[in-house]
Amino acid sequence: MRKSIHALSQTELIDALKMNDSYILKQFYTLHYKKIEALVLKNSGTIEHAKDVYQDAFVTVWTHVKTDKFVPKNDTALQGYLYSIAKNKWTDVLRSKSFKNANKLNELTLTDVKDSTEDAAQEQDLKLKTAMAAFKNLGQPCKQLLGDYYFEKKSLKQIAQQFNIEENTARNKKYRCMEKLRNMVIAPKKQQLGR
Amino acid sequence: MEDKEYISKELFEIIERYIKGNMTLKELQDINQLIELDADFKTKVEEVKTFIHGIEAQALKEKLDDFHEVAINQPDETPKNNLRYLNFKRIAVAAAFVIGLGSIWFFSIPQNEKLYAKYYKPDPGLPTTMSSTNNFEFYNAMVKYKHGDYKLAIKTWRELANKTPDNDTLNYFIGVAHLANKNVDSAIPFLERTVQTKKAFPFINDANYYLGLAYLKEGNTELAKQFLSKSNTDLSKELILKLSD
Repeated sequence: MRKSIHALSQTELIDALKMNDSYILKQFYTLHYKKIEALVLKNSGTIEHAKDVYQDAFVTVWTHVKTDKFVPKNDTALQGYLYSIAKNKWTDVLRSKSFKNANKLNELTLTDVKDSTEDAAQEQDLKLKTAMAAFKNLGQPCKQLLGDYYFEKKSLKQIAQQFNIEENTARNKKYRCMEKLRNMVIAPKKQQLGR
Repeated sequence: MEDKEYISKELFEIIERYIKGNMTLKELQDINQLIELDADFKTKVEEVKTFIHGIEAQALKEKLDDFHEVAINQPDETPKNNLRYLNFKRIAVAAAFVIGLGSIWFFSIPQNEKLYAKYYKPDPGLPTTMSSTNNFEFYNAMVKYKHGDYKLAIKTWRELANKTPDNDTLNYFIGVAHLANKNVDSAIPFLERTVQTKKAFPFINDANYYLGLAYLKEGNTELAKQFLSKSNTDLSKELILKLSD
C-alpha cells in the first residue's frame, strides 16, 4: 500500500514528480483530466483535442517542475497550474489560423503557435524537442537502458542485472548510448552544412 | 558517424554527477568556476542537461497514453451531472458500507478499548546521553518526548522528516508520539510508512505492535491482528490470543 496522491503535501507532490514517480504521475494525470476534457468540449473541441492539449500541458507542467520554473504557493497550486496551462494551450489552438480553417489539430498546429516569437526559451524548447525526437527513434537496447536509468531512476546495478551484464559494462553502454543519441541529434545538422 | 569532439566518458560522468547534484561542495565550486571560465565547457554541460531532460520527457510522453486509458474512465467533472444523476445504486452500496463499518465499531469498542488500555504503554524513547552526536535536533526532541511534551517533539521531528521523508526512525517516533498524544488517526499513517520499509529497521517489531494497537483502538480488530502477527514480541502474541477468543 503506497501513499496516495491525496495524502501528499504540495512539496511532496513536487518531489515525487521530480523523481518521476510513475505511481504519483499516473494519479496526478488521471485526477485532473476530466476537468480539461469538460473545458475543451464546452469550447468547440473534441475528445481528441482534449487529449492532445492535456498531454501537451502535462509534459509542460512536469518540465516546469523539473527545472524549478514552478514554485508552489498554496496547497492546490500545482493542480491550478496544470489547468491554466491547458486552458492557455487550448485558447492558442482556438485562435490559430489552422483551427479556424477547420484543419485537423496536429503537432504542427501547436508548434506554429509557439514559434511566433523568438527568444532563448524558444530555442531551448526546440533543442529539447529535438532531443526528445532523437530518443523516440533511438534503437533498442539503448532506448530501454537510457530510459531505465534516467527516467525510472534505476541504478546501474539493477540495469546490469536486467541485461545480464557486468555493472561496468552497463556504465560503458550508457555512455555509448548517449553518444549514439547525440549523433542522431547532430547528424541532420551536419548534412545541412554540406560537410 | 562518430563525432570526435564529444566529451570523454570520464568528463561525461562528471557532468552527469553535476546535473544530478551528486557532488561534494569542493567539486561543485570547481565545476561552477570552470563553467564561468570556459564557454565551451558550459555548452557541453547544457547539452548533456538537454539530452537527459529530453530522454525523461519523451519517456514520460510515451507513458501518457497508458495513463489516459485510466483517466477517461474517471467520473465526469461537470457538477451538474453529479447533482442531477445521483446514483442510487452507489448510495445504497455506500450506505451498506457505512452501516457495516458502524456495526463493527459499535460491537467491538468496549472490548477493544479495554485491551488497548491494558496493553498500551508509551514507547520509552531512545537514550539521550549527550555524545558527539550531530543529530542534536533529533535528540533534543527526544528529551521533549520523554517529558511528555509530545506536540513539540512531533513538530521538530516533522521538520526533520520533511527533509528526509524516508527516514524510518523519524516516522516511527512521530507515529508513537502521536499515539502517546492520544491521536490515533495521525499516528497510523506514520506507523504504516515505517512498517512498509524495505530496509532492516531495528524497531520493526515495535512498529508493528504499535500499529496493531492503533488499529485496535480504532476498533478495527482484523487489521490489528494482521499487524500484531507481524511483531514477534511476547505482548503481541498474548494480545492476538485474547483477540481471537
